[in-house]
Amino acid sequence: MNGTRVTDPAALLLQRLQRLLRWRLWIQERIQLTEWQVTLLWAALAGFLGSLTSLIFSAFAEGVHEVLTGSSAGVVESMRHLPWWGCLLVPTLGGAAAGLVLLYGERLTRAQSSTDYMEAIAIGNGRIPVRASLVKSTAALFSIGSGGSIGREGPMVQLAAVVASILGRWRQFTGPQLRLLVACGAAAGIASAYNAPIAGSFFVAEIILGSIAMESLGPLAVSAVVATLTIRVLTSAQVMYRVPSFQLNSAWEMGPYVVLGLVTGSLAPMFLRSLKQAEEFFLALRLPIVARLALGGLAVGIMAVNVPEVCGNGYSVVVQILNGPVIWKVLLGVFACKWLATMASFGSGAPGGVFTPSLFMGASAGYLFGAAVHAVWPAGAANPGAFALVGMGAFLAAASRAPVMAIIMLFEMTLSYDIILPLMLCSVIAYYTAKGIAGHSLYSESLKRKTAAEPDPELAAGRVQDLMKANPPVIAPSARFAAIAEMFLSVRVNNLYVCDADGRFLGAVSLHDIKPYLGQPDLAELVIARDIMREDFPRIGPQQSLGEALGRFLGVPAERLPVVDPVAGRLLGSLSKGDLLLVLVEKRKKPEPAV
Amino acid sequence: MDLPTQFLAQPDALILDLEANSREAALCALHAELAKSPAVKDAPLFLHGLLERAMLAPVCIAPEVALPHARTTAVERVVIGVARIAPPGVGFDAEHPQIRLVFMVGTPKQQVEEYLLSVAAITRLLKAEGIRDGLLAARTEAEFRALLARGARR
Repeated sequence: MNGTRVTDPAALLLQRLQRLLRWRLWIQERIQLTEWQVTLLWAALAGFLGSLTSLIFSAFAEGVHEVLTGSSAGVVESMRHLPWWGCLLVPTLGGAAAGLVLLYGERLTRAQSSTDYMEAIAIGNGRIPVRASLVKSTAALFSIGSGGSIGREGPMVQLAAVVASILGRWRQFTGPQLRLLVACGAAAGIASAYNAPIAGSFFVAEIILGSIAMESLGPLAVSAVVATLTIRVLTSAQVMYRVPSFQLNSAWEMGPYVVLGLVTGSLAPMFLRSLKQAEEFFLALRLPIVARLALGGLAVGIMAVNVPEVCGNGYSVVVQILNGPVIWKVLLGVFACKWLATMASFGSGAPGGVFTPSLFMGASAGYLFGAAVHAVWPAGAANPGAFALVGMGAFLAAASRAPVMAIIMLFEMTLSYDIILPLMLCSVIAYYTAKGIAGHSLYSESLKRKTAAEPDPELAAGRVQDLMKANPPVIAPSARFAAIAEMFLSVRVNNLYVCDADGRFLGAVSLHDIKPYLGQPDLAELVIARDIMREDFPRIGPQQSLGEALGRFLGVPAERLPVVDPVAGRLLGSLSKGDLLLVLVEKRKKPEPAV
Repeated sequence: MDLPTQFLAQPDALILDLEANSREAALCALHAELAKSPAVKDAPLFLHGLLERAMLAPVCIAPEVALPHARTTAVERVVIGVARIAPPGVGFDAEHPQIRLVFMVGTPKQQVEEYLLSVAAITRLLKAEGIRDGLLAARTEAEFRALLARGARR
């Protein structure tokens, strides 16, 4: 029996470090958490937190609605039971309250930049101002709670993105990582709002990131799934739109669906243009913000006296349309009033989204078209409700310019697979029709405008120095094995950079090189960093392009490379392969700056 | 048996009862013998590497054993030289005043793994029961080499 007992404290410490390091390696080799996998974990957390903020926002919006209308029923139902003066007063008061919040909130947020989560993801640095977002969301509570013709999904997504941004900043994520995490938050927000995880992922991937590369789609999907699961566990959320079983009765029905694609593809740009014109109209009035929003609310209220269906995001009306039958003349009136009401709410600057109102427009247009076809050719449109469903998808595809997302979303929201063939065809036709009519979509125009105004420095320059992370962990060439082991335990890297006293990069010590020798204390006493560092460890210069940097990663198992000043040889930072891939993926889809 | 262990079993240079009165003298003498190996392409550079490394941090692994080593472009494969210094030995540093056994290792610059294998093989050899005492007591070169081969095989 070998009874040798180590009593030297330094030797004991070394033994303990070696044991810990062996454990770390054992775990690492079995679990093998790469940077991507860690990103997925953070995406899941962003999804969970995003869904919670969505729930909280919904609860607050319903609370405001109850206080203003004295009813806990749906928006349309509450407005229906209000006297005429109540219909006028509630949206007007809500608009004024939203305006007051924005007015006084400005004092808190004067120095803060844009709150737009899309901007933060697509062209910004992923940093969304918290106070400004809270002010905007609080204002949205009033505009939504008072029955404004606006969707609640916009603020829900915004808040989920803000939480993700806070999380990423707390963890000191790099720019590309932070943008991806904010995108995950947005995906979680959409998934929570519509109980649609696939659509949530594709919305952000297709519209905001402009790419369905797995580098970004993977974390988005994880975030959206976690958010949806959270919503389903904490609430009784089910399929958003329960619809009767639709089926394609004959191949001839595809003809009217083709025409519906052309119709919705033409209507969507008109709808978007009208929103913009309404915005210009309200701005031209030069009213103070409180008066402007109150005026928008009043306009909605005037219509709500006779047509309460104009209030809210249109969800309950869409459910009625899909489950039909609906009197087409009534629906035509609601359709026209809802269009005007959305113009009033959106144009006056009421904070909220127009995504769900777009679904209403599509469903109404589809139903009206189906009813018209049915009247002249019953076999061509056996069930106008099916046209409403397809119209929703087609209008969404045309307005958002994201046909894949629209098709998936419609399927997820209705779980009606029978309608998938006309839905796909109609959405694609609507998309191309809208694209041919107008060059912008519900979202792309503002992003393009902002891209032109504030080019992303990281993407504009496309140099390694813009993307590198400063102060990577380093060790001295004379560092003993114990110090190396301790450093490997304290920082989660596989390669430690070795620098001299002047900060010059000498090489890197690989964790896997020393792994087989962790059980040999004699060796540990002899070996120093310089003995085992790899002097030929690949490195990149700060001025190298991102494409060149990617080339340096080829054939190298490292997740990070040191960035070294080519003249002085000093270590400046490190570049993550994950960040690099994210930026290159993003760079591929950037819209050209406006000339 | 891996390559560095084979080299240890049959070292490129072996000096028994080396007469030296300083660390540098011992290193230079063993280096001169090792430099005769065709694997050493640049003897001065190799010596420079050995001395530079010895200056940077201690190279002793036991009270009587030193392991001067260098990863250098001066050698084209792992080279190992062994010297037994005549009593009372030489001082390598304050904590090791009587070094009797010197294992000199040169490893090509790129071969980190081989370097670690070589050093590990030597430390393993010296841990083997009776090997260190045997090496210090061996009367002939053949006996010394046999002990090296036996220890390396373990």
